[in-house]
Amino acid sequence: MKAPVLNMTPRTVSRVRMAAILGILGPGLVSGFADNDAGGISTYSVAGVKFGYDLLWVLLASQIVLFFTQEVGARLGLATGQGLAGLVRERYGVRWAAFMISTMLIANIGSIVAEFAGCSAALGLFGWPNWASALLAATVVVLLLTRGSYSKVQYLFVAVGIGVSLAYFVSALLAHPDWGQAGSALIVPRLASSPAYWVAVVATVGTTITPWGQAFIQSYVADKRLGPEDLVGERLDVGLGALLTNLIAGFIVVACAAGLWATGQHNVTDVATIARGLEPLAGPATTVLFAVGLLAASFLGLGVVPLTSAYAACEAFGWETGVDWRWREAPAFYGLMVFFVAFAAMFILIVPSNALIQVMFSAQVVNCLLLPFVLVFVMRLSADKQLMGPLVSGRILQAIGWAGTALLVVLSMTLVVTSVAGIGAA
Amino acid sequence: MLYLSQAIGRPVRDKLGEPIGTVADLIVAIGDRYPPVTGIVVKTNGREIFLHWQSVSSLDATGATLQTTAIDISKFHQRPNEIRLKLDLMDRQIVDIDGRKVVRVNDLRLDEVEGALHLVAVDVGASGLLRRLGVEGPWRVLARGLHRGVPERYIDWEDVDPVERTIASVKLRVPHKGLAELHPADLATIIDQLSRNDRVGVIASLDDEAAADAIGEMEPETQVDILEDLEPGRAADILEEMDPDEAADLVADLSEESREEILGLMERDEAEEVQELMTYAEDTAGGIMTTEFVAVPAELTAAQTIDRLRELEPNAETIYYVYVTDAAGRLVGVLSLRDLIVAKPDKPLSTFMYAEPVAVKTDASQEDVTEVVARYNLLAVPVVDEGGILCGIVTVDDAIDTLLPHPSRLRMPRIFGRTSSGSER
Repeated sequence: MKAPVLNMTPRTVSRVRMAAILGILGPGLVSGFADNDAGGISTYSVAGVKFGYDLLWVLLASQIVLFFTQEVGARLGLATGQGLAGLVRERYGVRWAAFMISTMLIANIGSIVAEFAGCSAALGLFGWPNWASALLAATVVVLLLTRGSYSKVQYLFVAVGIGVSLAYFVSALLAHPDWGQAGSALIVPRLASSPAYWVAVVATVGTTITPWGQAFIQSYVADKRLGPEDLVGERLDVGLGALLTNLIAGFIVVACAAGLWATGQHNVTDVATIARGLEPLAGPATTVLFAVGLLAASFLGLGVVPLTSAYAACEAFGWETGVDWRWREAPAFYGLMVFFVAFAAMFILIVPSNALIQVMFSAQVVNCLLLPFVLVFVMRLSADKQLMGPLVSGRILQAIGWAGTALLVVLSMTLVVTSVAGIGAA
Repeated sequence: MLYLSQAIGRPVRDKLGEPIGTVADLIVAIGDRYPPVTGIVVKTNGREIFLHWQSVSSLDATGATLQTTAIDISKFHQRPNEIRLKLDLMDRQIVDIDGRKVVRVNDLRLDEVEGALHLVAVDVGASGLLRRLGVEGPWRVLARGLHRGVPERYIDWEDVDPVERTIASVKLRVPHKGLAELHPADLATIIDQLSRNDRVGVIASLDDEAAADAIGEMEPETQVDILEDLEPGRAADILEEMDPDEAADLVADLSEESREEILGLMERDEAEEVQELMTYAEDTAGGIMTTEFVAVPAELTAAQTIDRLRELEPNAETIYYVYVTDAAGRLVGVLSLRDLIVAKPDKPLSTFMYAEPVAVKTDASQEDVTEVVARYNLLAVPVVDEGGILCGIVTVDDAIDTLLPHPSRLRMPRIFGRTSSGSER
């Protein structure tokens, strides 16, 4: 049968195209930007201030690992249409699911505390007391949950994120960094034996590749109902996300290395020091810029991290998920959210304000230590032919995935060993 | 009463009490109200063997005992309507038809019904979860201490609809009988919660009309996804069942490739109607009108017209007005359903119709249409072309859409909230 001639108005055609492009370019980008949350920005800053350009190679390495872990996560979502937690439950049963969820929740509580700390640190630059910023952060979470206009808000965050990234780019340029040194540090790994160095390495990896990021990308892809035919677009999206994330991270490190480390200021106790350290280079607006950037990053994280973890838990246990349900209909979901917010707020209230940056930094270390537990599930699931069909990980992808996971385990072990040795020596 | 989790992993003994393996799974035959257990999977020496239920003399939380001493390893054939409880159902998602949502199976409850073990209910409550985690006992003690109960929730197997992917190991067409009886809006809500593969499975099992009704209640993006995932011939059948204006909006959103394929498979006049509607800009009277309306010649009497209505069985939204057209199809009058019913049966329409009906042109803006509908208190307004030929009508529900703020579309991931179809309009 011959297809009838179509009389299409241009309007509908362009609408379809836009939807298709927006439809695929998304999960990886949003996930990437969300990686540069409060914990990310503070960790990169600390890394730059303490170790100069030395940690740039870690960024490059973790970008590569990030690409592969996110790619696997996206592929799992494309092939199964399910989130990570649900898949673990179906394949390995309740106990393993409970184990993975607990791991993720612990890591996420750390991240949420870090977002609260980011808020406090940023607003502290304007003289806000801790309790006021904790209150603001809690309000933001509640508003995000109850107002339902989340989809728009998140683009605002990403937009602010891009703006802030440009600011870091400019400050990095203005700081007249030693590009040669930066370039060689990017490619040639520098291995030091000091425990502090390894803590910084672990934190940098931990803030880039996160347990929640793994759950996030998979659920995002599944909930967008993308399928195997979107594989190429999704890989592009994930690659772009990983690249942009680490480009921004690199500029933060470079800006801090050139602005503070190079001038002999190696100790950071709070974000005010970092902001003021950059001031001579980029002018008095730097403090404001830095504070706004950190605040936006915190809100971005607050919008993504608690939701992701509550979502994962509810998915695994079959509870009603999502902000569309009423409180009474989804008590577990909202209960978890309330717990996260209350815990983080309480924590911030008892932490002295000069320890905030340490809190953010430590949360990333915890993230990295718990990451292998989540990745093992991801790697095993992605190698399951029955589950993945044509999207199953080939030998090469499997080898890379396991190598990355093994690397993280080695890294975590190194940290534990050096810390124990450090304590023993002291 | 026995929970599946209590039997799994327990020892299997032969007639003499010699242990020969452990319980790996149970097999039931789907189809009856409560599926009877028809077989047992025993794990022995690292491999699984299937045994007929006849060879099992007892099964409880302490394990299974066989009728025989020797295991009959005669090839067990899993019949097409049989599923494995642990492999196919445990921890999977199911549709709770009564509660209209998708839930996860925490445990399965088996009971003796008429002397045989049957699957009777799905445990989706906290107690099932705690039992699986192995902490039900301690938790109950704790809960009793706090004078709180442990929430238990079961769904009768009758109210369960196993979603398609669940039954991956068997090529079983799940009938989804329960789902088909739901209101289309509820069905749309459930389908919205399912993953892509399951969604297509559920739609595939519905008849064209039910599928069209359910799809009509969904978000535009979801509609497009589903239609493109369906087999094109089926998609064409479903589109034919939809209101032409809805179908046109949907077809316009499809990718060019599927659009041509699906339109080619639709019946000729239906496809032409849809294409004609697609030529109008979306925010004009032509873009929002439906081509389903009742038009009759002026010579008919009231009784003949009512007979015609019975014959045509128009939709609820288009039955309220009968339009009168001349031989060329030009709009010459209009009657309300009330006019028809209160008129003497043998009166010709021309004697009591409104001879100067309010109408809008196909290129009138949506705002103009809304204004006309509001000013004249109409349930529907006829749409005519340049020559006064009646092309379609805009019903009040489509007209007032412009007055409402544009609903936030489901562009964003579900992770940020399930937009139920209820919020669409």
